[in-house]
Amino acid sequence: MSDVTNGHRSILVVGGGMSGLSAALEAAEAGLPVYIVEKEPYLGGRVARMNKYFPKLCPPSCGLEINFRRIKNNPLVRFFTMAEVTKISGVPGDFDVTVKLAPRYVNEKCTGCGVCAEAAETEISNPFDYGLSKVKAAYLPHEFAFPMRYVLAPQVIGTAEAEKIRAACPYGAVDLDMQEKTFDLKVGAVVWATGWKPYDASKIAYYGAGRFQNVISNVVMERLASFNGPTQGRIVRPSDGAAVQKVAFVQCAGSRDENHLPYCSGICCLASLKQATYVLDQNPEASVTIFYIDIRALGKYEDFYAKVQKDARVRFVKGKAGEISENAETGQVTVQVEDQETGSILREGFDLVVLATGMVPSTADDKVPAEVTYDENGFLLPAQPSAGIVPAGCVKRPVDVASSVQDATAAALKAIQAMVRR
Amino acid sequence: MEPKYVSLEMRDYIVSMGAETVNWCMQCGLCTNLCPWRLVPGETSEKFNIRHMQRLGQMGMEGFEDEHILFACTTCSMCQSNCPRGVKIVDNVRAMRASIVGAGMAPANLRPILGSAHANGNPWSGPREKRTAWQQGLEVPTFGPDTEYFLFVCCHSCYDPRSTKVAQSIVKLLKAAGISFGVIGNEESCCGESMRKLGDEELFQKLAQSNIELFNAKGVKKIITTSPHCLWTFTQEYPELGGRWEVIHYTQVLAQCVQDGRLKLSKDGSKKVAFHDPCYLGRHSGVFDAPRQLLENAVDGGTVELSRSRELSLCCAGGGGRIWAEVPMGERFGELRVTDAIDKGAKVLATACPYCMNMLIDACNSLGKQEQLEIAELSELLAANL
Repeated sequence: MSDVTNGHRSILVVGGGMSGLSAALEAAEAGLPVYIVEKEPYLGGRVARMNKYFPKLCPPSCGLEINFRRIKNNPLVRFFTMAEVTKISGVPGDFDVTVKLAPRYVNEKCTGCGVCAEAAETEISNPFDYGLSKVKAAYLPHEFAFPMRYVLAPQVIGTAEAEKIRAACPYGAVDLDMQEKTFDLKVGAVVWATGWKPYDASKIAYYGAGRFQNVISNVVMERLASFNGPTQGRIVRPSDGAAVQKVAFVQCAGSRDENHLPYCSGICCLASLKQATYVLDQNPEASVTIFYIDIRALGKYEDFYAKVQKDARVRFVKGKAGEISENAETGQVTVQVEDQETGSILREGFDLVVLATGMVPSTADDKVPAEVTYDENGFLLPAQPSAGIVPAGCVKRPVDVASSVQDATAAALKAIQAMVRR
Repeated sequence: MEPKYVSLEMRDYIVSMGAETVNWCMQCGLCTNLCPWRLVPGETSEKFNIRHMQRLGQMGMEGFEDEHILFACTTCSMCQSNCPRGVKIVDNVRAMRASIVGAGMAPANLRPILGSAHANGNPWSGPREKRTAWQQGLEVPTFGPDTEYFLFVCCHSCYDPRSTKVAQSIVKLLKAAGISFGVIGNEESCCGESMRKLGDEELFQKLAQSNIELFNAKGVKKIITTSPHCLWTFTQEYPELGGRWEVIHYTQVLAQCVQDGRLKLSKDGSKKVAFHDPCYLGRHSGVFDAPRQLLENAVDGGTVELSRSRELSLCCAGGGGRIWAEVPMGERFGELRVTDAIDKGAKVLATACPYCMNMLIDACNSLGKQEQLEIAELSELLAANL
């Protein structure tokens, strides 16, 4: 595979989320061959799981569709899903990369018809919905998955059920003999864009995430509000499926906290303001309370903050929420906070509490298999020892989608420069 | 609204007394909400707001010297352990107290306590020559040049009749485990941990110096403490004053001995036991597992966790000098612990600190729950199963 194009002029993009897609397409549209390596069985990354973007409140599927079409129309872009980079060696202009491909058990003959899922019986926790729903062991990662191809969960491989699934496919697309394989790529530069993970809110023990069903994180809220999510877009209490009247947002759940993430995650204030509109659009009678230390809505985002602030149904309380407790019978969750404007202690019950959890760079745990430098929180530093390994997007710092796209575009240029400056 | 006066001189003085981090506070209020005082009703709960108290310190403003405010904190470290800015809140409390106590304005109820520590080397008004009275009937080795561990017994367990059983039990256990240990005796003084928390910096320095000179002259290298408070000050405060030893709590030594097979405990009793984490052993010193391992080895009826345990453990209210505070019934944190233990089906509530034991017994008695729940120090449960 390494000899298909001029290896020394091609770029490897690791991560097929918004940053990775942008970097790959910008480079390909400048005439360079590009490989995208994505760990998940689909492209689109975290953005694919979002309901709407702030501040325009438009769905991300639109922008993703455009990018997928750009990929389909551009023969210079090749991509691998369920793939990971395990080794990078060499110098700018001449990198040798090892890629490990996990078996999908479904080949390119798949038409996405779904007969395999009907044949499957085993249900697995749906990672796309953060475990809030179940899918069959033969599943499409999500409704608009690109590539539109099913996946078989490894749990059923070797069982009679797997045989049944294989036999059900009218196109011969199920291949139970697929094995993990590795291959090498020769590339001139690498863009590392493996993105972020939500901070594990259960580590903030006093908020009760993981113990109280109606305390959820902001990424889960995106799934609840998405019409392709576990509740078809109805924002309900996970405990009993009841519609919500009173919703609280707890800002800086882990961020700006030396015991958790010492940095500001930058996007959570806007995300909560946006999610407040989800709640109120669905139920005009609902009310929202946002507990915050400071609202950080920079630049043009100030306008969005002002717009939400004007809504009388949204209350802003300055104060870092303290303990959250649960009434086990009703599922109501009570937030205790000191209102810094009055100095009084509030104890207020809500149907649902959304923790505005921050962003952890994927590189905090999953390291780049090459000599690179990180800051103390696991973010990749903008300037790397090798000019040919260029970080992009949320592995560098917590950013919103628009900034990821800009940063990725810049990264594509840096990657191109690294090759021609030999 | 009356004008309020900001005094930068006062602020600087408080900072110089040890509140170096008071200005790091960003007024988020997490401390106030995680404070155990939020869990009880009453005047102190209404008046004492740790965030506000520090704000007054930041501004050098009047108002914090009210006894309900200044001496309310139990120094449990629930706020400090979770502070998003890493503010050393307990140090700030200590420094603010020191700014008042150092000027000779200690509250009246604390004066006899501080006075006894000055005169007798213990806060319990016990004569110095009676410090070893608890040893009667037990052959307790004296620390000598060939002794490995110096056993430092908390003043509370030297003088309080109920608490002496803790010291006696620990001696029995250490002997059974074949540990080389000994005590020094009447020349020992109170570790001073609580005196310093009360703001009597001068007294603490005097006690600490006296202990450091004594321990070093005796050739002490390793110390076992009976109380987590002594453990904490020996490991966290004494080193910069010249006291540098290897210090561990008795539960740590014994847990190691059980693991090595040096200490054999028979499982006994069918009662379910809950463990109350002492703040100074758990949150302050990071020891959560050793006492639990010991319990598992000595209890047949099973163990149960309280609803607030380990890092989130609820204070007994005896730290920071609060063991000497008079608190109305219904406002005692210990009552919440006792009730929780009973709700969880425990018959015994064990802890590993003489102060906690003291506070929990008081709470259990004031609730009249002695028939339903037994309060025990872990060492007593273990020694009964030798």
